Amino acid sequence: MKRRLNYTGRKKIERENVSINFIRKDGAIVAFTFNKLDLSNLKLPSEAKVYVEVYYRTDLKRFDFGTAGSISYPSYCDLKDMAYPENVKFRILVVNPADGKLLAHADRISPEEPAERKTILPVEFSDLGNEIWRVEYEGDEGSPILVINRRIPNIQNIAKQDSQFMMYVYPQVIREVLTHMVFVDRVDSATEPSTDWHGEWLNFIRQLGVESPETLINDDENFSKEDKEDALRWINSAVKAFCDSYSNKFEDYIHKMEEHHDEP
Amino acid sequence: MMNLRVMLPEGERKFREYIHNVRTNPRYQYPELNNEPFSKEFLPVISINETKHFESKMELAEYLHNCFKDADLKREDALQQNGLWTWLAYVWFDQLAPITNSATGERDIKEDAKYICSSDYQDYYRHLVSGPYSIYSLHGAENSRIFLYSRVYEHNDFIEQFASRQFIISHKNIVEAIRTLYIDCQRGKPKKGAQSRTNPGNIRRFVSVIQQFELTYDIYTISPERILDLLPDEFNNWKSEER
Repeated sequence: MKRRLNYTGRKKIERENVSINFIRKDGAIVAFTFNKLDLSNLKLPSEAKVYVEVYYRTDLKRFDFGTAGSISYPSYCDLKDMAYPENVKFRILVVNPADGKLLAHADRISPEEPAERKTILPVEFSDLGNEIWRVEYEGDEGSPILVINRRIPNIQNIAKQDSQFMMYVYPQVIREVLTHMVFVDRVDSATEPSTDWHGEWLNFIRQLGVESPETLINDDENFSKEDKEDALRWINSAVKAFCDSYSNKFEDYIHKMEEHHDEP
Repeated sequence: MMNLRVMLPEGERKFREYIHNVRTNPRYQYPELNNEPFSKEFLPVISINETKHFESKMELAEYLHNCFKDADLKREDALQQNGLWTWLAYVWFDQLAPITNSATGERDIKEDAKYICSSDYQDYYRHLVSGPYSIYSLHGAENSRIFLYSRVYEHNDFIEQFASRQFIISHKNIVEAIRTLYIDCQRGKPKKGAQSRTNPGNIRRFVSVIQQFELTYDIYTISPERILDLLPDEFNNWKSEER
């Protein structure tokens, strides 16, 4: 689904200008609070209304945050009537009160969990039926999350340490994420993409020694055959570079296979 | 009548095993899971009629809504309990996976997610018990009918196209616009042709247009009537009651 058209000149609220925290009681999420919502660089009309929506599945709750010229932070935003407070995402809307049109927005924002180090690929464990793993684009701004089937015994250790699992799964995850980024999301810049997670992944690939080709960025409805081949070649190079950087895991995997083969 | 229970991991494992086996062996024994360690009683105590037959998803959702309401069980507290929904699918399995061949005992069994309630955001609306309840308890009888008209074991296109999309199913005004456009009030079912992929203004086109609106308007504050006004001309035919 292609959703990059922006005929109305809607502005993007950058993730770095938003800071949200959950409030917990006895470990359970009961509310949220905004530490920061900075719209000052967007040059929005001061009377524009600011709303924050919290949502997940069928649940949707809306909070009035005043106006762009005078943001009023509710001191306590209750989430007790949400069925899945652990999973909720946030949407910020700045609305022209005259015609109800969006002037700026940010979507799929997750609150900070301060103790956690930022990772470009969060891992979650969930019941996936008979699937072993799946990439879901449910993080901030549709960023990828690797979901691994929690029904597999000892899977949390396997996912971290097992060379066989790592060499089978992670290269394919990288291939999938890059393919999604280029052909589904249509990344809009090789150096400063407007979506944060695109930039983080491009940096990650650059750190593996693989530069992004200019042809990755394509404003046309469809990629030309040559551009598509370029992009696919880049993805293959990135996956190969990743595997090369984990050559010790590959050797470990081979070693285990040989041991297994030699067993009487 | 029996008291509502919550399926525990061991019970879920057994129930899943049963679903897998009965697909290929219709005579596979239905497991007894109404005791620990397979399931435990839900609190507050709520009585459920395990033999009740439902003509439609609507009837099923209405029945549960009333049971939970009588027991003061809040919607958000019920929906959090995956094991409760899995257990309900277990006790009503006969009608959720009906026998299609009386000679062999073969059943119409769909994928696991229809019976085992999962935390997976991509599957939750597919569950044959929690899906209808979730829609009914949020939108009420009138606006739910367009999604819940079909038999309890059938997964219709209105659920697949609309309930799978958080933005659409969570906005009451969009749901009311959907009902106004596509319900045939006399039959209590969707108007003919709404689910066609080729008819102008079909439900897939509605999804596409709303996804553009989502990026243009503050949908939350727009009335259902205004949403209908904003739709392009291809939807005009659906606005008339006659179709």
